[in-house]
Amino acid sequence: MAVATATTTPTGAPAPVRETRSDRIVMICNYTALGLFTLAVLYPLVYVASASLSDPKNVVSGKVWLWPVGFSTEAFKAVFDYDSIVSGFSNSVVYALGGALLATVLTLFAAYPLSRKGLPGKGIIMALFVFTMMFNGGLIPTYLVVDRIGLLNTRWAIILPAALAVWNMIITRTYFQSTIPDELVEAAKVDGCSDFGFFWRIVLPLSKPIIAVNMLFYAVAQWNSWFNALIYLTNEQLFPLQLVLRQILIQNAFDPSQVRDTAELIRMKELQEQLKFSLIVIATIPPLLIYPFVQKHFVKGAMVGSLKG
Amino acid sequence: MQEDLRTAGVKRRSFVAGTVGIAAATGGSGLLSGCSSGEAAAGAGPESLSAPATELGRKKTGVNYPPGYVGPVAREQRAVVTEPVTFTLVVPQSLTVGDWSKNEFTRWMEQRTGVKIVFRQVAGKGNDAETMTKVNAMIAAGDVPDAFLGITFTRSQLYLYGAQNLFVDLRPCLDKYAPNLQQAMKDYPEARKLMVSPDKGIYSFPDINDCFHCRASNGRALLNTEWLRKVGLAMPTTTDEFREVLTAFKKADLAGGGKTVPFGGYKDAPLDTYFMNAFLYNPGEPWLVVNDGKVEANYVKDEWREGLKYLRGLYADGLLAKDIFTANEDQIKRYGDNPGGPILGGARVYYWGTLMTLDLVDPQARWRQYRTMEPLKGPDGVQVAPWDYLKVGLEVSTLVATRKCTRPDLLVRWADFQLDLEVVLRSYAGPDIRWSAKGDKGINGKQSVYGYDSWNTDATKGKTWDQFGVMYRSGDFRLAERVNPRQPTFESPLYEQTRDYLYPHRQPMERQFPPVTFESDQAAQDAELGLNLKTEVTTSMAKFVTGRLDPADDGQWRDYTDRINRIGLRPYLEVQQAAYETYQG
Repeated sequence: MAVATATTTPTGAPAPVRETRSDRIVMICNYTALGLFTLAVLYPLVYVASASLSDPKNVVSGKVWLWPVGFSTEAFKAVFDYDSIVSGFSNSVVYALGGALLATVLTLFAAYPLSRKGLPGKGIIMALFVFTMMFNGGLIPTYLVVDRIGLLNTRWAIILPAALAVWNMIITRTYFQSTIPDELVEAAKVDGCSDFGFFWRIVLPLSKPIIAVNMLFYAVAQWNSWFNALIYLTNEQLFPLQLVLRQILIQNAFDPSQVRDTAELIRMKELQEQLKFSLIVIATIPPLLIYPFVQKHFVKGAMVGSLKG
Repeated sequence: MQEDLRTAGVKRRSFVAGTVGIAAATGGSGLLSGCSSGEAAAGAGPESLSAPATELGRKKTGVNYPPGYVGPVAREQRAVVTEPVTFTLVVPQSLTVGDWSKNEFTRWMEQRTGVKIVFRQVAGKGNDAETMTKVNAMIAAGDVPDAFLGITFTRSQLYLYGAQNLFVDLRPCLDKYAPNLQQAMKDYPEARKLMVSPDKGIYSFPDINDCFHCRASNGRALLNTEWLRKVGLAMPTTTDEFREVLTAFKKADLAGGGKTVPFGGYKDAPLDTYFMNAFLYNPGEPWLVVNDGKVEANYVKDEWREGLKYLRGLYADGLLAKDIFTANEDQIKRYGDNPGGPILGGARVYYWGTLMTLDLVDPQARWRQYRTMEPLKGPDGVQVAPWDYLKVGLEVSTLVATRKCTRPDLLVRWADFQLDLEVVLRSYAGPDIRWSAKGDKGINGKQSVYGYDSWNTDATKGKTWDQFGVMYRSGDFRLAERVNPRQPTFESPLYEQTRDYLYPHRQPMERQFPPVTFESDQAAQDAELGLNLKTEVTTSMAKFVTGRLDPADDGQWRDYTDRINRIGLRPYLEVQQAAYETYQG
């Protein structure tokens, strides 16, 4: 049938490829499926944003389903009334930025030598790295280490123990292997360039995508994490936003038969309803802001890095 | 949920138990500050019991107590110390408290007692899995404070850590330096028994909160009196009458358009704690009762089966909400708040607030249509409102001193200071309390003692300890809160209906299975078997009621009891029996 359509084209110019019926069906299916996926992803985001801008009463009673009902910015004002939320936000920014910078630097330093052929003991070093992916000391021994080196209850306890992800390091190493050919190293050597010079002047400028990917991975991981903070911090001034968020979301999870003070229960519910959505919005905005800027590097870097093992 | 947490806690604990020994042997962390003078500190020093016993202070004047009042009293209290002393306390995180060290009540306490507290805040509510993860890590690493405040250790944990000499036995200090607590224990004779570990040690300073309506929570169900009037029936008192009422609701379709839900509920309020009590005394999970000194499980009894048949009948006739086992709180509230008029005939909930948004101003508000039902009388004349004598009222583990604490006597005096009426009020309601004038009415209609104009988050944020403090709130105290006549809350009806409809039908106290303490191996067994049994019982109950299993079918009932026995009902009951006998002494 496709042939028949092509030959009946009157002009001599190459015929525009006409869509066959099956093509069209595939396209329609594609767009419908993609459209549904988009909706599935978009709807919760819109809902949360709308709920955060609505009167909490309307949210509880289920009147809000897409757009804000009874527009109100009270919830956002209330958020800033709580010191722990404000300090949590700035702490999270510090942990995400500081953690991402340090971790990216370490990752590059570890990945580059391991990508070079001439490194003696490469196999052993790599094996050691991979070993830590599968086995770790466990909660209490790690806690003891953090305690003994005096990191407990400091910002470093959040940044240092999570400073290198072997997974990211492997992706980065593969990226180097596939984008920095040995010939380039040799040519640089002939021209009298040292190893450090080569890394600084040639490797780094060629590695923007993978640097962006690493920064993003690490920053988002830090932004979302709360467990290390839970375990290592006992000063509320250092708590990240996620811990505060958890606090508000679980605060309401009472065993209802055990509630001694019904008035307190109501109070907690109101607080939760008021803060829940606005807080989620606030916690989501920073990662959402970063993504568009990193996106173009992101696809490139992650894809190249994930080629062959 | 609660059950899961307990299992997690216990498993971790058995691991931690091993590590504590090591940590103790190698000495604690060097980071510790506070009252510990050195690593060698192992519990109370000799000077801690040398001071003369503390006496009750003189009663303050200007407070109006109702006649026969039993509870905390405002007294002249002296500072605990003249020279400054510092304790390190681990506390949970709370938005209401805010930064504990900058909190207003913290400042007030320091001024009045002379005791300075260095706080270490742990994320979590104090009784959740996260808090315990962190606390267990601290304990295992030997990084313990002088005391934990508001961290909920189970009785079994207190006993275990007490036996390992990690937690301090406060008993000698309590006898000598806690006059307010001694008075409270005279007011509540059961208290001592509930505090003591099997080795006779008392490893915590308790919190007393005698909540009258909480004791009846499990047996509470509400029915729409407006609808009763419309269908011309009286409040049902028997299982048959109840079925008649629901059938009438359904037939009359008072919500219109077939939207009527004769009886609703949600997954956190089990049906069995109300309905089974027409067949046998059933306090609810873990469904254990004491019969002549013998611990028994309800869910394998014939009476239980009769109850299932009854519920099955209701469900089959469409008298129970379809989603009664699965609805969450938001869903039940959506039924309750239905715009345009009520659609629920009744519901098994803990109080009105779970069912709908409460309008406290309008005297015609919808929630006032719903009244607490009396327990139903079954075919054999059983009619019980399960009354919680023992698990409500006294919390252990409110303040737990560790072996790092060299002066537990001062810590106990600091805690006892907080049991004073005025301090209790400041601790949870903030500084803006006002004493009631003569003639002001409290929740129970008698002379009120105190009141506050507003008790909301904005007003108390950063000013209170959000119920984490050590307190003495007796029944009389709780009911002596002033009711604003222009804006009466639900507290009075909740109290009155509990008093009139549930309290008279309570079971004898000896029948309640008490909160027991387990040895560490028993604790593991209790947690594991208990969780499996709970899963089996609840899922089977839902199946029996919704018709996926038939309670009238002998074969299916036998299969069910076989499954229960295979899980290990017998060893489970043996563990409980042993713990019960230990509790009885």
